[in-house]
Amino acid sequence: MAEKTIYEHLSDKGVSRRDFLKICGMLVGAMGLSNMPPLEASGLPRGLNKVETKTIDHVRQALESKPRVPVIWLEFQDCAGCTEALSRSTSPTLVDLVLNDLTIEYQETLMAAAGFQAEGAKQQAIEKYYGKYILVVEGSLPTMGEGGFCTIGGRSSLDILKEDAAGAAAIIATGNCASYGGLPKANPNPTGAKGVWEIITDKPVVNIPGCPAIPEVTTGVILHFLVFGTLPELDSLNRPKTFYGHTVHDRCLRRGFYEAGKFAKSFDDEGAKQGWCLYKLGCKGPTTYNSCATIRWDAGLSFPIQSGHPCLGCSQPDFWDGGGFYQGQSAPLNKPTATAAGAAVAAGVALGAGMAVANRSQKKKEIVDSQPSDEEEKKE
Amino acid sequence: MDWNAVLSFARGPFFRVSLFIFIIGMSYRLARIVFLGWSKDHAKADGSKLGGVIKSYLKGFLILPFYPWVKNTFNRNPLIYIAGGLFHLSLFVVIFLGTAHMLVWKSLLGFGWPTIKTPIIDLLAAIGIIALLMLLINRLINPVVKMISGPSEYINWLLVFLPFLTGYIMYHHLGSPYEKLYSLHMITVNVLLIWIPLSRISHFMFYFFSRTIHGVEFGKRAVSP
Repeated sequence: MAEKTIYEHLSDKGVSRRDFLKICGMLVGAMGLSNMPPLEASGLPRGLNKVETKTIDHVRQALESKPRVPVIWLEFQDCAGCTEALSRSTSPTLVDLVLNDLTIEYQETLMAAAGFQAEGAKQQAIEKYYGKYILVVEGSLPTMGEGGFCTIGGRSSLDILKEDAAGAAAIIATGNCASYGGLPKANPNPTGAKGVWEIITDKPVVNIPGCPAIPEVTTGVILHFLVFGTLPELDSLNRPKTFYGHTVHDRCLRRGFYEAGKFAKSFDDEGAKQGWCLYKLGCKGPTTYNSCATIRWDAGLSFPIQSGHPCLGCSQPDFWDGGGFYQGQSAPLNKPTATAAGAAVAAGVALGAGMAVANRSQKKKEIVDSQPSDEEEKKE
Repeated sequence: MDWNAVLSFARGPFFRVSLFIFIIGMSYRLARIVFLGWSKDHAKADGSKLGGVIKSYLKGFLILPFYPWVKNTFNRNPLIYIAGGLFHLSLFVVIFLGTAHMLVWKSLLGFGWPTIKTPIIDLLAAIGIIALLMLLINRLINPVVKMISGPSEYINWLLVFLPFLTGYIMYHHLGSPYEKLYSLHMITVNVLLIWIPLSRISHFMFYFFSRTIHGVEFGKRAVSP
């Protein structure tokens, strides 16, 4: 018997046709489609490369004709914050859809099974869906101590990742840790933490950085693969361009105040109350690529800058080592200490003084040499 | 190219090294000047040396910028005189009273100060860039200035112009991603920091020496030898 399609699966769950079509519409928005991806892999009619009302139809066709895509979700050196963000996201039905109805086969934080049962379930899923499943990774991987800094079931996270990645159709690194090493990689990086794409190099890894990753972005990417069978277009840091194409600063609701030069100087001054720009309070928005300012959090309710806190730059590589969170972004990363600066001044002065003394004695010598000595005078 | 990594380097180790070279270099040159000492005054002159110095500074900071027409250099080429003045004004206001730059000082010195509204800074920066271009054109077409300009003068101009230009482009997010423009701005600033002690841009410090010495000379009331 052929595998159930996504639509069949949903209708078994009691989703009405009307709701299904609504979901299709929502998916188009969730994927942030502005261009249709290459259609060959999706099995959809060719020549449909515009996003229009018909796009929902394409999504509908895909969901009606394709089986569900299983997801195996691995957690390594993480805080489960990305999972928390995803599972507690109030975005209705969409995240539910991904979490409950569609895909997740293995997720340590959420699954009821534990121990050998859980590992056994994962092995089963891997064997059953070999070459078809999406591997989502949360948390960084320790490379020092022979991988012993993070083990699951007595096996190092590096081994687990390599084994599970071998059969994955696509790999998604969610959160800054899995993408770029995140907090575990912060100086001095005691575990030699690395992001997934530094370890798995033979397959494309989609990075969805953020601390945590925006749930709608994670689901958007999964859905993109599910509907079109391809990964979304990526930038040089392997982030989906749709969601990471602009800086937080570019889309910030306080941007006007930046342009006008109106800055909050502290967290409780008049500027802060008026909602002015938080640049002086250390906002990293100008160099941070993410869609916080557009998708926002808690079902589009707010995001840090809207709530009065500067952007920490949590979706950028090495953001923990990117200078103080509340230090203006223009400030140098590591300033010299007063002692070092004093030593530099002393060194310069000593050099100059030494050179001056040397010059003076040289001059004196020249004067002495150029004058005839007493003996020479007597001879004359 | 990963501009984030370039930016971390330009804001981090590169800036640090440049700053140290700048500090050591300027301390060295300062020490050299100070250790030259005053020449012995064999015939004490009448008049007040201190008075002369005060007058010299008053003239430099109050009279010449506001009544420039008493000066011959102004009357000979007022446009270039004003361009030079505006460039220096722009430079100092942007560096010390621009918000982003004040935060640099704050991180280095530990204290900050109020800044001027960004649009005004922006306007002054644009004025600075135009003034620099005018000064370059003058250097290229004025036969006297052209004759006394060597490669180092053009390097001076370029290394001052580039931070201005990259800073302006960066503030307006023109063309490239912010981190790329920011990196370029920091790199040009770092190169400038290294270049200053080696060049005549060090006049930002020695200007005060020459003005003081002139003041002392002008304060004397005696027949010069």
